[in-house]
This record gives sequence, C-alpha cells and structure tokens, in this order.
Amino acid sequence: MGVSAGAERRDLGQRLKGAVGSYYSLIVVLVLWEIVGRLGLVYYNFLPPISDILLKFWQLTVTGVMIDQTVLTVERALAGLVIAVLLGIPVGILTARNDLFEWFWDPVIAIGYPVPVISLIPVFMLWFGIGDVSKVILVAVGAFWPVALNARDATRGVDENLIWSARMMGTSDRRLLWRVVMPAAAPGILTGIQIALPISLIVEFIFEMVAGGGGLGHLQILGARNFVSTQVFAAIIAIMIVGLGLDRLLRYAREWLLAWE
Amino acid sequence: MAGATAELSTALPEPVRAAGRFVVRWFPLVILAFLWDVVSGVVGAAVLPPPTVVLTTLWGMLSSGAVLPDLGVSLYRVVWGLALSIAVGVLLGIGMARSETVEDFFEVFLGMLYPVPKTALVPLAILWLGRGTSMAILIIFLACLLPIVLNSYNAAQVVDQNLIWSARMMGTSDRAILWKIVIPSTIPDIVTGIRQAIPIAFIALTGAELIGASNGMGAIILSAGQLGTYPRMFAAIVLISATAFLALRGFDRLERRVFVWV
Repeated sequence: MGVSAGAERRDLGQRLKGAVGSYYSLIVVLVLWEIVGRLGLVYYNFLPPISDILLKFWQLTVTGVMIDQTVLTVERALAGLVIAVLLGIPVGILTARNDLFEWFWDPVIAIGYPVPVISLIPVFMLWFGIGDVSKVILVAVGAFWPVALNARDATRGVDENLIWSARMMGTSDRRLLWRVVMPAAAPGILTGIQIALPISLIVEFIFEMVAGGGGLGHLQILGARNFVSTQVFAAIIAIMIVGLGLDRLLRYAREWLLAWE
Repeated sequence: MAGATAELSTALPEPVRAAGRFVVRWFPLVILAFLWDVVSGVVGAAVLPPPTVVLTTLWGMLSSGAVLPDLGVSLYRVVWGLALSIAVGVLLGIGMARSETVEDFFEVFLGMLYPVPKTALVPLAILWLGRGTSMAILIIFLACLLPIVLNSYNAAQVVDQNLIWSARMMGTSDRAILWKIVIPSTIPDIVTGIRQAIPIAFIALTGAELIGASNGMGAIILSAGQLGTYPRMFAAIVLISATAFLALRGFDRLERRVFVWV
C-alpha cells in the first residue's frame, strides 16, 4: 500500500477533466481488443476489432455523415441550453432577491428538480411532434433546473455587505444587479451551466434514440437495430468527442469570464 | 410572507403554526395545479389531462396493483445498478487513492468515461446484453460509478496519515488498516457520492427503459404515449418522479439516523 503524497496529486475529478497521468493501460487494452477481435475470440458484433471501428468512423466522417449528424445534435442541444440559461439565470436571481418570487419558485424548484426529464419525451412527442422544436424545448426544460438552482444559491451567497455598501454609495437597482450581484454570483452561475451541459446532451441523445430525426443518438441506435456494431462504436467515439469538446469550451469560457477574479 | 407568519406565531399554538407554515410554503404548487387545470381546459383533455384525472388514474393504477410489477422491476434495476456501482466504485476509488499502480491503470478509462453521457450508451448495452433488466442495470451502474469513485477517492486521499502511522506502529496489518481506518473514515464522503448518484440512477433508468425495455415505468410511459392513453402516461411520469423524490428524501432521513456519529 503506497503512501501517497497528497499535496502533489490534485483532486481526481479535476484531473479526469484534463490530461490524465498515464496512458499505457489504454494502449494495452486497445492492443488486446484488436487481437481478440482479429482472432475471432468474441462474436464480431459484440466487440469488433478497434481498427474496423476506426475505419468505420473514418468512412462516416469523409462521406460527411458523421459531421452532419454531429452538427444536428450540437445545434439542438446548444439551442436548448441557451434558452435554459436565458430563463434560468433571471429566475434564479429573482428567487434569491425577491420574497414573492422566492415563495413561488422554491417549492416549484424542489419538485421540478428531481423529475427525470427524459420521462417527458413521449409527452413532448404528443405536444410538439418529433421535430427540432420539440427536442430544443425539452433540452431547455431539462437544463433549466440546474441553471436556476445554482443561480439562486449563488445569489443567496453574495455578501450582503457588498450590496449595502454599493447601495450606500447610491448605486441604482439596475447597476447593483449588473455590477455587484451578477459578478459576485458569476462563479456559481457558471457552475450551474456546466452541470446543465451534460443534461442537455443526455436529453438530446435519448430524444434522438426514441424519436429519430437524425443526430448522433439516432445514428447509434440505427447501428444497434441493424446490427452494424461498428457504427454504434463510431457514434460513441463522436459522442465522446462532442462531450469533451463542449466541456472544454465551457471551461475556457469560465476562465475567460472570471479572469478578473 | 414573513410578516404574516411572524404575526401568526404569537397568536396560535405550535402545531397550528407548523401547519400554517406548511400550507404557505407549498401553496405555489396548488397555484401550479390550478394553472395546469386551466391550460388543460384550453388545449383539451386529450392533449393535457387535468390534474384530477391524472391523480385518479394514478390512484387506480396503484390501488388495483396493476402498476406495481413495473414499479417493482424499475426499483429492482435501480437498486442493483446502484449497489454494483457502490461496490465497484468504493473499491476503485480507495484502490486508486492508495496505490499508484491501480491509479495509473484505471485513470485513463475513467477519463474517457467522464465526458460521455452514460445514458447515451444504451444502444451499445442493448447490443451486448439485449433489451431488458441486465442492460438497464449496466447503464445505471455506469452512470452512478463516477460520483462514487470520485468521492471515495478524494476521501481516501485525505485520511489522516497520523492515524495510519500510529496503527502501523502498533503492528496493525495493511488489511486491518484498510477495513478499520481507511474505509470507516471515507464513509461520509461515500454517502455524499451515493446521494449524488440517486437522481442520476433514475435518469439512467428512465433512459434505458424508454429505449430498451418492455416493462418498467419508462416502458409504460412510452407505450401509453404510443397507444394514446395519455392520463396513464402522465400518471406514470408523476409516479416515477415521486419515487425519485421519495428515494432521495428517504436516503437523507436514513443518513441522519444511521450516521449520527459522523
């Protein structure tokens, strides 16, 4: 049992989001995967050789299919996320700063937050059909709760002394909101958006799997239905890239926005 | 609001005041139900059944027992998926925190799992295990694994080294140190990890059942939607949401009762 020097090893969650320390095991597993697949030790569709998967990924990419589906997925997920951010931040801040809003929204958030939003997919198919609008709205509904909840808690945590001193100096309510409350609550608000991002992607992927209409989720489920397992794996690689790329993007945006801190 | 409650507090006995606070606190939900009713009148009961119809349907499903097998199957999947992720996640988290070899091996895979929405792996899980319970358990397991690994890892890293050194000085074996010191001191964080995993488990469950199951609450919601029995669809959504809510509340209550010593 090696005793670890805690100081140099950062928080694991932070590390997983960045560059991990060691890649040798990945290479070992990939090589074994290829050998097992090539020797036919497992049923082909269960675990096709990694080279076949990469070939499929390459083919789908050069024919443009993968790029089109990725763009579809990302567009809808981001559109929903943006709507959720535009609605969730004001609701969260007002809930923290206004008694009437707090009275109304607190129980609504308490009840709405734990609802597994993807259970509403059949409802949204009934209300808005299976097209883009339906998907974007449901993504927005799912992403709304973490955004609003974190904006509320972040605003509640703003130091009251800051607000009092700004008021004493004659700051107007509007300027108080934009110059004092928003900047002070910004880290928490951004955390809410970061939590909402994977939720947007989950809602989007599952909606595509249930209702179709293109996108990476649809591409993957078609692969499973038609027993083209290389397509399933290729779609997962694309999903991984999308998840990682958007997560990075949000973290750069966070660093840029909070640079003044 | 606060003023009205304060006035009440001087005039009335405590139970009445508590009931009053409860009503005031949750009254917005009554407003919401009223709005739901109005909207359902405007758009038609076929598109949005009024809350009374949904609740009556739900009561019928529960009292006749017709929904219980599906609710049972869903709970079975959640419990097994969570249990597996706790067993594997705690071992992996502690193992990675205490041994560089274990950490170097698994870190890259967790790093690859991290950006993938685990529920999006349902098609792959169907390919491997077919539709149904084992597929759903696999998805729930994967979805809940990371929060549990992360929490137990971080906790095991900060275990008081003095405790370990003094135990070792007294001749305690490595195995005993693990079971008597490391694991007990990480329990509060493991509990936090489980708490974070419960809502995730229900999201994963619903996703898995919507796409790849013929029973369970997710499958009921989808089939009721396809058959056009909308009150049943809404009742099933209310039921699974309430179950998720109660699971979380129940866990909090259990935690307070069991872990008073922490």
